[in-house]
Amino acid sequence: MRIRNLSIVFASLLVSASAMAAVGARTGGEVPAPPAIGATIDDFTLPDVDNKDYSLKSLMGKKGAVLIFIAVQCPVSNAYNERMEQLAQDYKAKGINVIGINSNITEDAAAVKAHAAEHKLTFTILKDPGNKIADRLGAAVTPEAYFIDTNNKLLYHGRIDNAKNPAQLETSDLRNALDAALTGKAIEKTEAKAFGCSIKRG
Amino acid sequence: MRFTKVIIPITLCVLLVSFATPAQKQKAPAAQPQKPTAVVTPIDTDALKGLLSQQRQKPLLVNFWATYCDPCRDEFPDLVKIDKDYRAQSIEFITVSLDDMTDINTEVPKFLDLMKAKMPAYLLNVNDPEPAINMVDQRWRGDLPATFLYNEKGEVVYKHIGRVNVAELREAIDKVVKKGSS
Repeated sequence: MRIRNLSIVFASLLVSASAMAAVGARTGGEVPAPPAIGATIDDFTLPDVDNKDYSLKSLMGKKGAVLIFIAVQCPVSNAYNERMEQLAQDYKAKGINVIGINSNITEDAAAVKAHAAEHKLTFTILKDPGNKIADRLGAAVTPEAYFIDTNNKLLYHGRIDNAKNPAQLETSDLRNALDAALTGKAIEKTEAKAFGCSIKRG
Repeated sequence: MRFTKVIIPITLCVLLVSFATPAQKQKAPAAQPQKPTAVVTPIDTDALKGLLSQQRQKPLLVNFWATYCDPCRDEFPDLVKIDKDYRAQSIEFITVSLDDMTDINTEVPKFLDLMKAKMPAYLLNVNDPEPAINMVDQRWRGDLPATFLYNEKGEVVYKHIGRVNVAELREAIDKVVKKGSS
């Protein structure tokens, strides 16, 4: 697995280096590359807002799980609070559990807990000290979602939908992916660029 | 006696009110919140594409940002300084906000005013930002801030995702300017 990951990272480095070499462009400041669609996400354990440890395996639904990197102070993530809670409620019954992850170094567990209570977020929210899981998953912004099946295989990565403002909603990319997987159909769009606030890394 | 006890406080009250009222009338009206002066132009994906890819006289620096993005706000004074230092001689500089259209006359110009920013400011007016992000750079994931430097042919010669390293950006500008003038 590690060798496969390394080869993916190496291949992406080669592609990016050659693309930039074309005009001699320089780059910097980018977050680690996310795993490719179809890659397996290794199990991990993180504390929740009450400092109780949960493994990904223990939170997995019967049909899969959605990991969403979220924030307390990000207006984009906050614009999605109701939609995320609704998503969690709609799909819990269908066997897919929504798990929030807060990787922002600037937001402690107490703030995350208070925020969840204020916005009535009932799904489990984990704290990611040292951004280890954000780095492993290459999460760049909040909100950013990863849908994995019960074998931890990554099926969808990216935004929840196209618009921060629900009035401009056109494509519910994450819901489309979940619905396709639940009905045994191929997921048409497996990646859609997430937009939002940068994850505050240490 | 009782009459005096009652009439004196009443008289005092009447006097107080009559003195207080003209004073209140003279009070300056509550200050209206000042309207931001910075002009922010909405731009869609096609117009942005045209702007970025066209041949031009000078290199073009583009900064994608949003008022909700802390590192964007943090780096903005550095960018304003770069604009001040380079605009007259060598580069064009535009900013493209990824804020909501609802912020185009409020939060975005308010911040630009605060920063004393003079570069032309745009706001990406699209329902779906993904095509614009892909058009700018397939490898850019849309995280902010993002800064791109284009040469006169419209090719990207420098890019940085995240808060810019000022020395690195100045070096890249100097390099492209030197190349253009030689």
